[in-house]
Amino acid sequence: MSSSNLIPKVLVTKIGFDGHDRGSRVVAAALRDAGMEVIYTPPWQEIAAVVKLATEEDVDVIGISSLATDHLIVPKLMQALREAGLGDVAVIVGGIVPDEDEQLLLEAGVARVFHPGSSLPSIAAAVRELAAGVRARRTTV
Amino acid sequence: MNKPVDAPLGLQGAGPEDPALAHWRGEYASQIGTDRPVHNRSGIPIRPLYTAADWNPARESATGLPGQAPYTRGIYATMHRGRTWTQRQLIGLGTPAEYNARLQGVLGAGATAVSLIPCNSVFRGVDMDESHFELLGTCGTVVNTAEHMDRALQGVDLAQTSCALNDPSPFTLLAFMLAAARKRGTDWRQVSGTSNQSDYISHYVANHMFFRLALPGARRVLADHIDFCNRFVPKWNPMSVVGQHMQQAGATPAEAVAFTLSTAIQNAEDCIARGMDPDTFLPRFTFFFDISISFFEEIAKFRAARRIWAKVTRERLGAKDPRSWRFKFHGQTSGVDLTRQQPLNNVARVAVQAMAGIFGGLQSLHTDAYDEALSCPSEFGARIAVATQNILREEAHLTDVIDPLGGSHYVEALTDQMQAEIERVMGLVQEAGGMYKAVESGLVQRMIGESARHFQAQVDRGEQTVVGVNAYQVDEDRSARPVNARPDPAAMRAHVAAFAAFKAARPAAEVQRALDALARAAGAARDNVFGRVVEAAEAGCTHGEICATLRRELGFGHVQALV
Amino acid sequence: MTARPALPAGLPAGERRAVARAISAIEQGGAQAAALHAALAPHLGRAHVIGITGAPGAGKSTLVHALLGELLARGQRIGVVAVDPSSPISGGAVLGDRVRMGTHGAHERVFIRSLASRGHLGGLSRSTGAVVDVMDAAGFDTVIVETVGAGQSEVEILRVADTRIVACPPGLGDEVQAIKAGILEIADLLVVTKADLPGAEAAQRQLHDMLHLRAAAAPGSWPVAVLATRVDSDGRAEGLAGLLEQIAAHAAACGRGRRLQAAARRSSASGDVAAHVRHLAASDPLMQMLGMRCTGGGPGHAEVKLTLQPQHLNFNGSCHGGVIFALADSAFGLASNSHGAVAAGIDAHVTYQQPAKAGDTLLARAHEVSRGRSLAVYRVDVEGEDGQAVSSFTGTVFLSRRHHGSVQRDTD
Repeated sequence: MSSSNLIPKVLVTKIGFDGHDRGSRVVAAALRDAGMEVIYTPPWQEIAAVVKLATEEDVDVIGISSLATDHLIVPKLMQALREAGLGDVAVIVGGIVPDEDEQLLLEAGVARVFHPGSSLPSIAAAVRELAAGVRARRTTV
Repeated sequence: MNKPVDAPLGLQGAGPEDPALAHWRGEYASQIGTDRPVHNRSGIPIRPLYTAADWNPARESATGLPGQAPYTRGIYATMHRGRTWTQRQLIGLGTPAEYNARLQGVLGAGATAVSLIPCNSVFRGVDMDESHFELLGTCGTVVNTAEHMDRALQGVDLAQTSCALNDPSPFTLLAFMLAAARKRGTDWRQVSGTSNQSDYISHYVANHMFFRLALPGARRVLADHIDFCNRFVPKWNPMSVVGQHMQQAGATPAEAVAFTLSTAIQNAEDCIARGMDPDTFLPRFTFFFDISISFFEEIAKFRAARRIWAKVTRERLGAKDPRSWRFKFHGQTSGVDLTRQQPLNNVARVAVQAMAGIFGGLQSLHTDAYDEALSCPSEFGARIAVATQNILREEAHLTDVIDPLGGSHYVEALTDQMQAEIERVMGLVQEAGGMYKAVESGLVQRMIGESARHFQAQVDRGEQTVVGVNAYQVDEDRSARPVNARPDPAAMRAHVAAFAAFKAARPAAEVQRALDALARAAGAARDNVFGRVVEAAEAGCTHGEICATLRRELGFGHVQALV
Repeated sequence: MTARPALPAGLPAGERRAVARAISAIEQGGAQAAALHAALAPHLGRAHVIGITGAPGAGKSTLVHALLGELLARGQRIGVVAVDPSSPISGGAVLGDRVRMGTHGAHERVFIRSLASRGHLGGLSRSTGAVVDVMDAAGFDTVIVETVGAGQSEVEILRVADTRIVACPPGLGDEVQAIKAGILEIADLLVVTKADLPGAEAAQRQLHDMLHLRAAAAPGSWPVAVLATRVDSDGRAEGLAGLLEQIAAHAAACGRGRRLQAAARRSSASGDVAAHVRHLAASDPLMQMLGMRCTGGGPGHAEVKLTLQPQHLNFNGSCHGGVIFALADSAFGLASNSHGAVAAGIDAHVTYQQPAKAGDTLLARAHEVSRGRSLAVYRVDVEGEDGQAVSSFTGTVFLSRRHHGSVQRDTD
């Protein structure tokens, strides 16, 4: 078993109004099977609740599943995270994101956008890499 | 179901094999090279050839004829030749005015009925002044009052046009529509349509989009709704049992039918427990299914579903009227099979899915736009979707023959096998104490999750090809992709402002009285909650206010976080 | 005297991010975690820790949520540690408990942290206990530890709690037998959840019967209570007031502080006690002044060495009796304080067998003869290098409820 230093802590969640969560469930299970610790929430989380959760659980990566234009409020989430001192947490967005909005998200600070058709192993590998980066940059307590 | 199924075939081992068949078998084995076993999505093994040894036309009595129990070949004697399927395209975007414009376009292009998708904020039960502005109207129409509904359906004769409203408990959209109908002088007894996807169980399990009230509360309000419509809106289908959500969430086609029929049984038994006669409400039960691209499997699935439902309604639920035994369904081509890569390929996919639904004997069809996987569909895409149906009907002449694949050795054998698998899963639900309990315990959700993971694993391993995704990929010119249709922000801001003005101007005392009556009804078992919802709609209460009142009384639905 | 490591800024005030980062540091383990954990010591003892376990489906999360509501209404700040099992195959985990805690989880005065079991029994116990300590040091009034299961590892987890609750669903039937193993050994309160369902009354009766037998076998111990609760789907709860009363009663009777004492006892397995003993020795002014060295220690035992110098002698030129007494008494003090509780000597006896002279190295070895709830007795043997008995010492201590680390000294 890997040492506790290397177990990525990931939050998989949905903000906004959409309720389709097949993707987020499948990704959460895949990340668990890849040896990560996943906090999984149902849909419709408030941004403030996500920030509180990410703070308390000290997550490395936040995965937002978005199918129905909920990605449009991800910039608000990024802002809230920065204000709470969680600007170092990596945020990825998976789901249906039109091309013209992908740039918008990246500029808001999202690390990566995953489109339909992304394989689970590729998502897990990206999350692991991002988590390692977050840990490396953090100062010790 | 994630393991291959051993399904018994009809006439296996009956008599010595035909020499011609034996010869074929030999030739096949020597020429095929490497053959690999094939299973469909429900786990049923598929052979290279089906003959009379697999299904014999002499068994036709088990299959029946169109319009006769067990309805394998169709619920009506004439089916699409007599009356084509209803072209019911789901539409929803922006403000009621924008919706109305697109609706008129689609009706003009050949659609014959209305289906309204409200904004996600409405699905969640909140008004526009409680939502993030960015999310208003992006995927559905923002309807918060009776007035909005009236505007959305402007120019539509409610006595003549069937309207499907995608709106779960407490069915405020129908309440708004009935308020609008009354204002227009339209008799409620002429109003026809469906409370689309009123099935709270499927929402709890798989598409929490619709989940507003806690499980027990939703159960009560649905029963009230069915009761109310039975008495006052007799042409309305209050019960739309949904298989689409579960299949889209990953259930195999057989599982989707099994869970859906189990839900229908649960809902029917709840009504019977309230003293309702099955023959009064079963004829108004409709089903809503996903149609995947597993072509023959879908056809067999629907034929098997008809057979099982005919048996269940008669034998288990005690219905005597043949109209109660008929499995009526609306099919929607499955968005889950569509891809973002090379989106125009989706036109071909939708055509194949639609054909499967048509051969499966649906009563009403929605075809997806090709850009479904990119964003909410564009008008351009919506037009092609309607044209697809027109082409299948009028150029390919798919309505000329009833159940054209009936009698095919393969399709009939597969129908039998799908039936066996569906009944097996129904048995599991039965053992768990019925659908409500099975869902409460998480059994159904776990099975669906398993199937979803299994399918994804197959795609990731390349065992299931998805063109453009894990095979036949090309470098695409992204600029060629259609731009997202978004609601006009100025129009939406005006809509929000008008809403605020409306709230300020309406008689506050009347509104409060109606909400109080609604709250009291929720606590009184004998009062009809939906009846009070309609009264509240007519008194000018908003959608958010109605939902909040009922949530307070009946509890807010919380989803189980099962992975 | 060694300086105590400082606490992270913001932690004593309960600042959310500071608490979270401290917990992460503890989870990571290693020297830093140990240092941090040691730094927490002076700040412990305020929180009452409630442990809740039970089989899956027993209604624990619903119960925790209802408890949160009650405690919030009483103005408390509550920390929650939710433990979920890691996959034995992949090592990963899905931590879903906190979302089942519903709306109260979003309250400003509630802090929830999810932990994965990570498979290791010993590792988990220490990590969970230390995480609870972080929350204690951060000023939470109550800390709730929730974990699933009815097996041995979950029993271990509950040892980090002051008051231990086991949630039992109604309709137990034969599962009553399964629950017996281990869980009943440690439960302080048994709660039958979903009390509106059939089988709830039968379950209560079965549990009462089992407890009756146990109470007969162990008179004088806390009388384990069986309670029933019921929580509606919208959070309205029955039986919660009674449960909180029982929790308070248990805390007053024997629960308060129990976990800290148990933690001190348990940490002997890792050698923390040795470090603790050495630390005590290093902070003893007399031992330092006389030149004594602690050469070993563990739970209930200690070794102290002294090489005799001219200033240790009496007018006869042999080792002063007071020095020998001080040597034996030092070992006695270290051994009796090794468990973590502050022990005060109330009686001591010494005999001198043989004289010792300058240059001799004496070794005093203390070991525990008996230890009860408030008194403990120790024997110390003082030997010369050749193993010859120099002196024998017996001492009795009174074990106070105070704890090393919660004692503030003027020199700090």
